[in-house]
Amino acid sequence: MLKIAILGANGFIGSRMVEMLHLEGLAEVRPIVRTMYSLARLSRFNLDGRVANAFDTSSLKTAFEGCEVVVHAVAGDRKTIVESLEPIYHAAQAAGVRRLVYLSSASVHGQSPIAGTDENSPLNDHQPLPYNNSKVHAEIQLKELRKKGTVEVVLLRPGIVFGPRSYWISSFASNLVSGQAYMVNGGKGICNSIYIDNLIYAIMLAGTIQDIDGEAFIVGDNETITWRDFYHPVAEALGFDLDKVPDATYQQLSKTKKEQVKEILDRPSSRKILSLFPNKLVNATKASVSALLAGPPQHSSSWTFTRLQEKSPQPVASLEMTLLQQCQYKLPGTKARKMLGYQPAVSFAEASRRTVGWLAFAGYPVLKDYQLPYQQPIGSTYAK
Amino acid sequence: MSKDKIFSVALVGCGAVSKLYYGPALQELERHKLLQVKALFDPDFEKLSVIQKNFPNAVSIKELDELSPEKIDIAIIASPPQFHSQQTIQLLKSGLSVLCEKPMSTTVTEAHAMLQAASNANGLLAIGLFRRFLPATQTIQKILSLNLLGDIQSFSFSEGGNFKWPVQSPAYFKKENARGGVLLDVGVHLLDLMVWWFGNPTEVVYEDDAMGGIEVNCRLQCKFGQRFTGEVRLSRDCVLQNRYLVTGDKGWLTWNVNDAPNQIQLGFKDSAFSLDAQVHDVDPRKPFIPGEQSYNFEQSFTLQICNLVAAIEGKESLMVPGEEAIKSLKIIESCYQHRTLMPMPWLNELELKTAYQLNAQL
Repeated sequence: MLKIAILGANGFIGSRMVEMLHLEGLAEVRPIVRTMYSLARLSRFNLDGRVANAFDTSSLKTAFEGCEVVVHAVAGDRKTIVESLEPIYHAAQAAGVRRLVYLSSASVHGQSPIAGTDENSPLNDHQPLPYNNSKVHAEIQLKELRKKGTVEVVLLRPGIVFGPRSYWISSFASNLVSGQAYMVNGGKGICNSIYIDNLIYAIMLAGTIQDIDGEAFIVGDNETITWRDFYHPVAEALGFDLDKVPDATYQQLSKTKKEQVKEILDRPSSRKILSLFPNKLVNATKASVSALLAGPPQHSSSWTFTRLQEKSPQPVASLEMTLLQQCQYKLPGTKARKMLGYQPAVSFAEASRRTVGWLAFAGYPVLKDYQLPYQQPIGSTYAK
Repeated sequence: MSKDKIFSVALVGCGAVSKLYYGPALQELERHKLLQVKALFDPDFEKLSVIQKNFPNAVSIKELDELSPEKIDIAIIASPPQFHSQQTIQLLKSGLSVLCEKPMSTTVTEAHAMLQAASNANGLLAIGLFRRFLPATQTIQKILSLNLLGDIQSFSFSEGGNFKWPVQSPAYFKKENARGGVLLDVGVHLLDLMVWWFGNPTEVVYEDDAMGGIEVNCRLQCKFGQRFTGEVRLSRDCVLQNRYLVTGDKGWLTWNVNDAPNQIQLGFKDSAFSLDAQVHDVDPRKPFIPGEQSYNFEQSFTLQICNLVAAIEGKESLMVPGEEAIKSLKIIESCYQHRTLMPMPWLNELELKTAYQLNAQL
């Protein structure tokens, strides 16, 4: 049986991958996590879980030994995304791993890719979101490592990955419950979604299909859905009307005076000058400046009758959500279909049913009598 | 607190719970000259050295039989649960009093052996179910015993979040070592409070997600005769409400265990308002001073050691003797014996088939 090491095995994608491959008997799974306590979620299975730091070649090599394929599902900041690749790649090579499947992101093409975008489109590392640039740099670095190394590299670029434990689902559900939910432009933009199980099928194909070394694949669900479609099952299951979810717009927040002063005080030249003065004087000056910039106190009166308060002010959308929900283009799955033989096995409706099922499991207040329209019977559909 | 005698203490097990809780509690009690830590035991010398830095006068021992009542009054057992029974019995037989960290043991048979050893020994056996010392849990106990909510109709207790306990070995998660997951860990606290407040349930239906390993999620439905049913939900995976809700025919109460362990919310039937109450110490000789809160989470941990000391001196009875602690353990063991798989609607048919098989084999 294929032996697969999964890096980042306690995360959203990694943990579902461990669960699915193990329960379906598709592979012998070796979960690898960063810290000891991260083994908790995986401990419901009797598996050979390992702890290895993503920057430590030696511990990674030990963890990879005996595995043919390594799946990189590590999330993190820029440093983790980019700088961990070299130790991971070298460890994989030293351990005799055949192929590294790297989970990149469709965001290397931006959150709202232009029509016609595909795997051959040039990647831009000057995007407004640092995450996108980090993923672009990671792809470039992996290709460089491959040139000098022996481990094959296959890149997957999934879009909005959803399912049990998904950030996109849980955050929207929490925001609905707390009254913080919003959409952009009525949620009419295209959501390039992929249900997590479909992504895992794609990962398995990327790990096993021959002659795809160095290739990158955009992977997604079959259906073209809007963000409204995406959110609809969640809202319905929780008893919310999407028509009542407000529209939000993105506002570039200008720096406050306080932030401007802090920026000046934090400059190396300012620090040099300030260091000449006693600490007490410096702190007193900083406090006075802060007090002056704080402005007058907010008006409130004991006569303010909150029960008749008009609805809360229009929410402000994050830049990421604004860009995502403005998307007008469904990313193509042509290359993945052709070279990987990838065909999403789980329909969006079935994926939504399973996702809502997880919401109930995780304690979200899903309506007791809520039932999605149908259940698609499904067994294993990978590589039959 | 006693001013007469300084009790000698041995700390058995120098892992995370000793580093984070027993160590600081013992340091504080040393400062008050209630006790002195005289001996430390852990097979892992590195862990022992970390604790020893805070107790420079304590000797490190290699075997538990080096502990005798001539030198040591109290042993605190903070080793992994699979060693609780054997170590407790050995030290009780040696003539020491024992405070054994929860869970009391990993099986009811072992727990019975501990009770037997305690009844034959001179020393006392207390179990580290420290939540009974929290001001909020004691207040809830009082509210319920005074029937202030009327007849109980239901309850719902949940505790869950991303597991972040500083585990020091993967063995912590292995079934052969841990023998249980979230139910045996946090669940033992929660079930102990349930039994303390409501008595023993007459029927328990249990499900979890263990599939060859230990449970990460579980749910219990506890029936109390014809009177009421309550639900308990635990998780090392999902962020739950972390709230205890008790509903009676006159009103309800909630306690947010992590966010505000010193606060209780109370509501009354057909009222649009509720009370958000801070728990304070009460001294009938003094006027109430707003703002002075009762003791906190950490201080409650310390109090359980004081309780054992006071019980040895005959000044108090034990708050959580072994006879009390075994009640929650019995429920847990029964749960494991009758476990069923939790519904996990995201699993496909093939996965579910394997999952059922793995769960049933446990």
